Amino acid sequence: MKKRFNRRDFLKLTIAGLTATTLPGCSKNADWQDLFRRRFQELTPDEIKGFLERLEERYSKQYGVKIHIKATPPVEGVVFGYALDLSRCIGCRRCVYACVRENNPSRDIEIQWIRVLRLKKGEFDLEKAEHYYSPELVPEDEYFYMPVQCQQCENPPCVKVCPVKATWKEPDGIVVIDYNWCIGCRTCMAACPYRARKFNWNDPVIPKEELNPETHYLGNRPRMKGVVEKCTFCIQRTREGRYPACVEVCPVGARKFGNLLDPESEIRYVLENFRVYRLKEDLKTEPKFFYFFSIGWG
Amino acid sequence: MKRILMEITDFFSGMLKVMFKGSRWFYLWMCLLTLIVLAGLAAYTLQMKQGLEITNMREQVSWGFYISNFTFLVGVAAAAVLLIIPAYIYHFKAIKKIVVFGELLAITAVLMAMLFVLVDIGRPERLWHILPLLGSPNLPRSILAWDFIVLNGYLLLNIFAVLYIGCNQYYGKEPDRKIIVPLVMVSIPWAVAVHTVTAFVYNGMGARAFWNASILAPRFLASAFSSGPALMLLIFQVLRRVMRFEIQDGAIFKIAEIIAYAMGINLFLMLAEIYKEYYTAAQHLTPMKYLYFGLDGHKRLVPWIWTSLFLNTIGFFIFLIPRIRKNFITLNAGCIMIFIGVWIEKGMGLILPGFIPDALGEIYEYMPSVYEITISLGILAFGGILYTLFIRTAIAIDTGRLRHKEAPPIVPEEEDTPLAANIMTRDVISVTPDTPVEEIGSTLVKHRISGVPVVDEKNRVIGVVSESDIIFREVYEEPDLLERVANIILPEQYRVQKKKGSYAIDIMTSPPVTARENTPLRELVQVITEKKIKRIIIVNEKEEPVGIVSRIDLVKAIEKISY
Ligand code: SF4
Ligand code: SF4
Repeated sequence: MKKRFNRRDFLKLTIAGLTATTLPGCSKNADWQDLFRRRFQELTPDEIKGFLERLEERYSKQYGVKIHIKATPPVEGVVFGYALDLSRCIGCRRCVYACVRENNPSRDIEIQWIRVLRLKKGEFDLEKAEHYYSPELVPEDEYFYMPVQCQQCENPPCVKVCPVKATWKEPDGIVVIDYNWCIGCRTCMAACPYRARKFNWNDPVIPKEELNPETHYLGNRPRMKGVVEKCTFCIQRTREGRYPACVEVCPVGARKFGNLLDPESEIRYVLENFRVYRLKEDLKTEPKFFYFFSIGWG
Repeated sequence: MKRILMEITDFFSGMLKVMFKGSRWFYLWMCLLTLIVLAGLAAYTLQMKQGLEITNMREQVSWGFYISNFTFLVGVAAAAVLLIIPAYIYHFKAIKKIVVFGELLAITAVLMAMLFVLVDIGRPERLWHILPLLGSPNLPRSILAWDFIVLNGYLLLNIFAVLYIGCNQYYGKEPDRKIIVPLVMVSIPWAVAVHTVTAFVYNGMGARAFWNASILAPRFLASAFSSGPALMLLIFQVLRRVMRFEIQDGAIFKIAEIIAYAMGINLFLMLAEIYKEYYTAAQHLTPMKYLYFGLDGHKRLVPWIWTSLFLNTIGFFIFLIPRIRKNFITLNAGCIMIFIGVWIEKGMGLILPGFIPDALGEIYEYMPSVYEITISLGILAFGGILYTLFIRTAIAIDTGRLRHKEAPPIVPEEEDTPLAANIMTRDVISVTPDTPVEEIGSTLVKHRISGVPVVDEKNRVIGVVSESDIIFREVYEEPDLLERVANIILPEQYRVQKKKGSYAIDIMTSPPVTARENTPLRELVQVITEKKIKRIIIVNEKEEPVGIVSRIDLVKAIEKISY
């Protein structure tokens, strides 16, 4: 193992050094080094620190706002799970907008990590779902709503197909992407059965005043053109004991979240007291995102 | 060291000279391609600046025209090398050149395929992340990472083979068979692997019902084995005009026959797929419905796939029926049809239904944007330029125009070594297919010859009857499967009536081994020894027999030049 790293380091340093010296304006040196750094998972804590500082500086300059990037590691003994009460969801899309405010996706060629589908009562056919419903008032009598976002699969096909290991499952079950390592091949988008992954088709546009400056390296830090992103269960919040933004904002309390390993958690309560199902179980992706119905139509 | 450098510069300056010296047509062709490449480059610059937003791909359909072309070109690359198999089995005379041209085409196609990936990815400057040692290829799990390795390996293998053959010729040496044969032997299964692994990239995705059918990889091979050779046939005919490239019509027709079988298998597999989806009529059916008939009024792909189906079917019949495939007009029309048919089928007809409807049931109709088309044309034109230059270099090396100054001069075959025309026995006695065997026997005896060519009504050679064929008939009657089947299923009046083995056509060896008048002695000897035959029929451009070279003629000729 050690030997391999040495050789890699050497190669990369050579390339980085060559490029840096041949390039005018050596102030960019650090940027170039970052271009030829190793994968995030292979960095030492010290390297991560230096790297994050440089990133912060760059982002702050770019957006004119002081941006804070952390890399809070997973908490031991925690695996996150999510449950969504379909009988309560009213299809108001507040979760969608709260997610956008929290997670800094591009507003031009809009990226939204949550999609709310409208389905006719008495049917459960995704092909007949309406993605772009916009009535005056929700809920509508003849419909029910099903929000879909990254299901944080235990057995994620997106991770399996990525050719460069730019995406992986963290110990707390969250599937993350290193936006600085992703080559933008979009194979993961083809592999995801839940259309959870989004691509930055252009330079992301985020109005300065809407930027959320509290970010996580693997989560909501601003992304760049040409990389893939998706829901991370608000990694920047949940690793610090807070709820994801969508859970917090839901006006009817349809969204439940917690530690699957903690018998006292909300999510365990749902799993033990309601009948739950997961989307496309037949694909054996084992989502950690459960749907349930707590009440009748009412 | 200095010497090597000098040799290399010498070679390249020579190469540049032969590469860019040509007729007005050549310059016109190159200018046209260059213009298209420039347009593609301009569009790509824009794409680099603005991102992939200038394409029509979106979240719902996240792969489009680029990846479609990538898939198709991998097929072409694979098939170009696979063509070596029939060339070898059927002893095509031009096999050496078929190997070189096939491998050059494979190189070009792989390069184009890689360019299509390059323009498709969002961060091309990070492509090195996929390299072993330097980056972090996700092996063994990611098929795309495998594909990258397999494709590059294939590229290197072919480059090496071509360079090896080329360098040897350049220095006037015979390439060592001990190196060439294993190279070719590796590159053939590798070609299959390249295409299979590419199919597996799509095939392994449970999220995409349309791709998740085990028939995908076999179908990839079948369709590649029809479109690749179709392209090669067109190229061969052009080359035959512009250079000394003696691929015989017989070889061309043989390849055409292979295309018919491959296309037949492809169509059969397609029908099997359609049956399974339609009879089951489960959720998996939706993408196929979209493809062939449209969904809820969304039917942009429908005219495409029916065009493809139409072209493939017509092409299949053209190549299936001997009389039609042996006519160069219909043959070439068929080649173009199959090429376009498979391009649609293995391109957009394969990639898009994977995404329509998308994983959440939405239908987003995709057609490439002007920019996508421009960039793609740019890449194809670049391939065209590359292949033209490759071929020109190969021809120059072959004819000795590009040659090391100390290399032994090419044996000027036209002058020194005798040609077939100089040594053959003229006055050919030929028989027709319906000549009775007894009559042939007495002809042989009367003229003291050991074999006669069999000609058809237009005096074209279609076979040879030799003494051994006549002797053989007595002990072993070759079973003719088709005839037997016909006799079983056809009504009586259509059955094959004649007594078996009584006429020339029943016992002749066909296709005959023939050669043109300008074939050099060396090649004649090679053919006769390799195929263990006794004589070669010499034909003119109309395939009419003009002479026979038998073993004794060769012996006489060799004796003469050893003085
Ligand atoms: S839902 Fe999609 S993106 Fe999320 S982990 Fe599963 S496969 Fe990956
Ligand atoms: S788009 Fe990025 S994360 Fe997705 S498969 Fe490609 S490199 Fe991996």
